[in-house]
Amino acid sequence: MTSSWKQQLVQVLLVLVSCGHGDTKTAAPTPTPLPPVTPLKQDAKSAVLTGKNFTERVELSSPVNMTLSCTWKGDQDKPPNITGHWRKDGQEIQDSRVTVMLEDENYKLIQVFSVVSEKDLGNYSCVFGNEARIDFILEVLQMGEKRDKPVVSYIRDFVVMTCKVEENKPIPTTWNWYTSNGTDKEQINTTASKRFKIVSEERETKLKVKDLTLDDAGQYYCGAVYPIGTSVGQVELKVITFMEPLKPFITILIEVVVLVAAILLYERSRAKKDSAEGTQTNAEQNTEPQGDDKGAEGNDSVRQRK
Amino acid sequence: MFYWLRCSNSPDSTVDRPQRDMPKPGDRSGGAGGPDGGWGWVLVAAMFISTSLVFGLMRSLGIFFVEFVHVFDESAQAISWISSIGLAAQQFFSPLGAALCNAYNTRLVVMVGGLLSGLGLILASQATCLVHLYLTMGVISGFGWALVFTPMVATVMANFTRWRALALGLGFSSIGLSSFAFNPLFQLLVETYAWRGALLILGALSLNIVACGALIRPECQPKARAKEDSGSGSPSRSNVLQRAASHLELPLLCERPYLTYTLAVTLFNFGYFVPYFHLVAHSRQAGFSEYQAAFVMSAAGATDILGRVASGWFSDLGHFRLVHLLTLWTVSAGAFIMLLPVSSLSGSYAALVAISLLYGFGSGALTSLVFAVVPMIMGVERVMGGLGLLQLIESSAGLLGTPLSGWLRDVTGNYVASFLVAGSFLLLGSLTLATLPHYCSCTDPPPPPPPQRRSSQGSHQDPFPPTRTTERRDGRRGEVQAAGRQREF
Repeated sequence: MTSSWKQQLVQVLLVLVSCGHGDTKTAAPTPTPLPPVTPLKQDAKSAVLTGKNFTERVELSSPVNMTLSCTWKGDQDKPPNITGHWRKDGQEIQDSRVTVMLEDENYKLIQVFSVVSEKDLGNYSCVFGNEARIDFILEVLQMGEKRDKPVVSYIRDFVVMTCKVEENKPIPTTWNWYTSNGTDKEQINTTASKRFKIVSEERETKLKVKDLTLDDAGQYYCGAVYPIGTSVGQVELKVITFMEPLKPFITILIEVVVLVAAILLYERSRAKKDSAEGTQTNAEQNTEPQGDDKGAEGNDSVRQRK
Repeated sequence: MFYWLRCSNSPDSTVDRPQRDMPKPGDRSGGAGGPDGGWGWVLVAAMFISTSLVFGLMRSLGIFFVEFVHVFDESAQAISWISSIGLAAQQFFSPLGAALCNAYNTRLVVMVGGLLSGLGLILASQATCLVHLYLTMGVISGFGWALVFTPMVATVMANFTRWRALALGLGFSSIGLSSFAFNPLFQLLVETYAWRGALLILGALSLNIVACGALIRPECQPKARAKEDSGSGSPSRSNVLQRAASHLELPLLCERPYLTYTLAVTLFNFGYFVPYFHLVAHSRQAGFSEYQAAFVMSAAGATDILGRVASGWFSDLGHFRLVHLLTLWTVSAGAFIMLLPVSSLSGSYAALVAISLLYGFGSGALTSLVFAVVPMIMGVERVMGGLGLLQLIESSAGLLGTPLSGWLRDVTGNYVASFLVAGSFLLLGSLTLATLPHYCSCTDPPPPPPPQRRSSQGSHQDPFPPTRTTERRDGRRGEVQAAGRQREF
C-alpha cells in the first residue's frame, strides 16, 4: 500500500521538477501504468470550490486510475502560495503536502489515485491551507429504486423480493443475497435451505421465499458484486398472520349486516304502520269501492298521457 | 309524516306531480316518470356508492397490478387482462341483469350482485396463480357488477322525471371522485396488509353494495309493463323463449330510434376511451415530464366530474332538448380530442392543459346525458332492458377502440392519428344522433308505445310500429296518444 503512495509521490515530484514553477495548470499529469498486469482505465473528476466546503460523489464499478483535481478561488487575502495536501477518510495522506502557486486568481491541486479494490474507496479530500476542502466520495455504484416501505407477506405464503440496477449503469458480475444475523450479514445458501430460491438476471435479482414463518421477518440485503466491490441494497420483510386483515374485514362485514337489517326493519315497520292506517281508511270508505277504482284508472291514463 | 318518502306507484303520489299542459322544449315526456325528490335522492346516494364501488374500484386496480406483476412473474399485458375480463363481463352480462330485474325483484338482483362482486374479490385474495384471478376478479366480480350497475341506473331513471339528468350526473360523478380517493387508499391497504389482505378488505367494502340494494324499495322499482303470461299452466319451450325475449326487451332491436341511438353510442365508445389510455403516454412523448403528464390527466379527471354534474343540472333546467345538448357535448368532446395532439405538438404545456380541461368537461358532460336520453327513445318502462342491451352492444366498441388506437400508434409512430380517429368517431356518432326521428323539432316527441302484448296466437308483430306514431306532427300528438290508449284498454 505505502509503496504505491511512494510511487505516486515520485511521479508528482518528477512532474514538478520537469515542468518547473507555475506550470501545474497545464495538463493533468498522465500517470504511467502501475505494476498491475492489465492497464487500468483512466477517469477524471474535478470540482471548483467557492466557499469553504464542497462534496462530490463518484460512483465506480471497476478499477480505475482516478485523477482528482481541485480548484480553489481563495479568500480575501490571496497569498502567492499556500500549502495543500490530500486526505483519505480524514487521515492525511503521507507525503502529500505540496506548495500551490496562485495562478489566474486560482489555486489548483491535482492528484491521481489508483482505485483497485474496495479498500481504495472512501472519502478523498484535497485541503487548501487549513480550511478550504473539497471531498470526493468514491463509492461503489448505488442501486436505484430503493424500496423504503417493507415488503409484507403472510405465514405459509410466499414472497418475492427484488433488487434492480438502473438501465444505464453497468451490469454486476454476480448477485448475492444476505440475511441479517445479529449485526452480521450472512449469505443465503440456496442449496442448504430449500425454501429460498435466487433467480438472477443481468440487471435484476429476485429472492423467492416460500412457506414463510414469523422468524423470516427482518432485513434482507442484496449485493451486486462489481470488480471494485459490492453494492448493497436493503429490503425489509414483514410477516403477518391472517388475523391482521381479518379484523377490518369482519368490522366492515358487521357494518354491512347492520345497515341492511336496519334498512329492512325500518321499511317493514313503516309498511306495518301504513297498512294499519290503510285498513282504517278502507273501512271508512268501504261503501264506494267503484269510485276508487275509477279514480285509479283515471290517474293511470293521466300518467300515460305524459 | 313519511308522505314525501313514497314512490310513484302508490296511489296518493299522483297528487303532487306537476301537471304540465303546454309542452316545453325540455319536457321530459319519457313515459311514466317518477316523482322527483324524496326517496329518489336516497336512491341517488345509493347509486353514488354502488357506482363508485363498481367503476371507481375497477379504475384503481392498477395498484394491485404492480404487485401482481411482481408476485406472479407475468407480463403487464397478461395482468391487465384481469380488468379487461371484468369490464367485458360487466357489459356482457348487463342484458341478463336487466332481464332478471324485469322478471324478478330489482332489489334482490342488486343485493345478489353486491354479494357476488364482494365474493369475487374475497376469493381473489386466496389466488395462487393468474388464472384464479381471471376467474374470480374477472368473471365472478364482473358478473356481480353487471347485476348492480344497470339496475341501479334504471331505478334512478325511473324515479326521476324533471331532474333525471341531474340525478344521473350526481350518481356518475362518483366514478371520478372515488378514483381520486381509492388510489391512495388502495396504496395504503397494499402497504399495510399486502395484496391478499387488501383484496379481502376490498371484498368487504364491495359488500356495501348489498346495503345500497336494500334501499330500493319495492314501490320504487322500475316497473316494466306486466308481462302477460301464456295463461296455460305448462311452460312450453317457445313460451319460455318468448318470455325471456320480452324480459330482455329484444323487440327493441327492431325499432329504428333505438338502433340509431345504439349505433351512435357505439361510435362514441370507439373514441371515448382513447384519451384515458393514451393521454399520459402522448404527453410524455411530446416532451413533458412524468409529473406534468400525470397532472394533465388529473386535471381532465377533475373537469370530468364537474362536467357530469353541471351538464346534468343545466339540461334539467329545460331550456334545450336533451338530444341537442348531447350532440353539443359530443361534438365538443370530439373536437377537443382532435385538438389534443395539435396543442401538444405546438410545444405549449398551457395549451395542452387547457384543451385537456375542456375535453374532460365535454366527456363528463356527455356521459350523464347519454344515459338520460335513453328513456326518451323507448319510454321509462323499457329502460331496464334497453340499458342492458345498450351496454352489451357498446362494449364491442370499447373492446375494439383501444387496440385500434394502439395499432395506429404503432404504425404511424405517434399518437396524432389515434386521437384524430377517435375524435372523428365521436363526430360521426353525433351525426348519427342527428338522424334520430324528430331530431329537429323543438320539443321531445312522445316515446314510442311499447309493442302490443303478445296475443294468444303468439305473434310478436307490432301492428303499430313506433316509427309511424313518432313521425306525426306534434299538433296531432294528442290524437295519436288517444288512439294508442284505446288500443291498450
